[in-house]
Amino acid sequence: MADLQKLYDAVLNGDQKAAIAVTEQALAEGITPLDLITNYMVPAMDEVGRRFECEDYFVPELLLSARAMKGSLTLIRPLLTASGIEPAGRVAIGTVKGDLHDIGKNLVASMLEGGGFEVIDLGADVPPEKFIDAIQNKGVRVVALSALLTVTMPSMRKTIDALKEAGVRDQVKVMVGGAPVTQQFAEEIGADGYSDNANAAVALARKLVAEGAPA
Amino acid sequence: MNGKERILARLQNGTPDSLPLMPITMMYAGDIAGIPYGVYARNHEALVQAQLAVADRFDFDYVSAISDPAREASDLGAAIEWFEDQPPAINESKALIHDKAVLSGLALPDPAAGRMNDRVCAVRMLAQKTGATRIVEGWVEGPCAMAADLRGLNTLMLDFGDDPDFVEALFDYAVRMELNFAQAQVDAGATLIGVGDAAASLVGPRIYQNFVLPFEKRLLAGIRAMGVPVRLHICGNTRRILKGMGETGAAIVDLDYPAPVNEARAAMGEQQVLLGNMDPVRALRDGTPESVTAHLEECHAQAGRNYIVGAGCEVPRGTPIANVEAMTRFARTRQ
Repeated sequence: MADLQKLYDAVLNGDQKAAIAVTEQALAEGITPLDLITNYMVPAMDEVGRRFECEDYFVPELLLSARAMKGSLTLIRPLLTASGIEPAGRVAIGTVKGDLHDIGKNLVASMLEGGGFEVIDLGADVPPEKFIDAIQNKGVRVVALSALLTVTMPSMRKTIDALKEAGVRDQVKVMVGGAPVTQQFAEEIGADGYSDNANAAVALARKLVAEGAPA
Repeated sequence: MNGKERILARLQNGTPDSLPLMPITMMYAGDIAGIPYGVYARNHEALVQAQLAVADRFDFDYVSAISDPAREASDLGAAIEWFEDQPPAINESKALIHDKAVLSGLALPDPAAGRMNDRVCAVRMLAQKTGATRIVEGWVEGPCAMAADLRGLNTLMLDFGDDPDFVEALFDYAVRMELNFAQAQVDAGATLIGVGDAAASLVGPRIYQNFVLPFEKRLLAGIRAMGVPVRLHICGNTRRILKGMGETGAAIVDLDYPAPVNEARAAMGEQQVLLGNMDPVRALRDGTPESVTAHLEECHAQAGRNYIVGAGCEVPRGTPIANVEAMTRFARTRQ
């Protein structure tokens, strides 16, 4: 029998090889993908987020854990899709047009994935059209915009305005974050939520989905 | 006292006539001079014009050749994205050392050529035009920042766990390169060198202590041996690495807003000159002259006498003139 506690430990300790090995064994023994995600991987990433927030873990540890989790998810995701199991929500994430600084975005994407969301990572320097396409064609319920530079913050407003012009703004919730971004700025540009760290971004996304971003 | 005397008095345990004033300005300086930042970063004459304009306008005690982290990487052939009116950025998806094997064949760039030389030229011109009365600050990347510029920040963060030997080899390369770059700027007339190592704020105390700090110490010791003091600028949350930052040998330690001044003072002792930690966006850009003054009053109270006025990081574009004037007024009326 697979020792599933080892999956939790592997994700928490950033051991990708061990995470994949335990996942392979567990799936071969008939343990359901949802069991692995719900009872081991999500709690492990919750703990990673908690440690990150209280400055016990830092960016290297978080990225190693995220990589371990993704190794398992590579095996699990096709099975979830085949079973028709829906994620907690679909999030399209990217740094806004003009901003190539993506580490904050990557941290949030990893934590969202660890929180049970399906993350469509559009990358860095993303024009509004790509977000619109993800909303129209990929069932996205939340759009997450990141900016590190004060000079690229206006691109957040432009992206939200573009969603309105394309007639898709009402189909999604928009959350924003990044070092220079503030709650006040988020409200000014018409975002639905703001988070100042990766862990809190997961709670925010859950809240926004619960508030009724359309399915 | 002129600005140079004022800063040197602070660094040499003397008595400046008022608090030295050294806010980092880049895009803000370009805006003051009406120069698009894409030009500022590419043309040393434009940078010098803007630095002189902002220093004259606000009575800064120094000028700086800082502009962007991509000069060295650019000269090495890394993929750089240019923008008309914001800093150039390194495209991590095309990182120069995407393949670790590239490092062993990478020669050190010549600071007398390319964008590194453009900075050296800026230093030389600044020294000629204002070096008699103001500190002229050259700038180099710290080992962690430079490694991130070449390897990609996300990848470097994983390298710490995957391949520590490679990280050390990369840091060693970065230090050797930056010592050459610093020497060229000192030879051109820099009277202080700033070391920017922002990526170091992401790694936490264990990795900072084991990997980053030894190389920062080596870099700073090398620069000090050139006869100039060093300003260490690690923006971001440095709260857990403050003690180490105080051991680097930096004459001035910058504090970004997540790093409380009183904690830095406790970690580094009374003699360390501190600069910061006003939140550049929320307190400086979005504040009022009154709130800026109140923030600085608090920072100064926590830091004590060994303090230099500045924001936690670059003065952001769009900061009201009156708020920067409030910084100047504060500096000139306190000791």
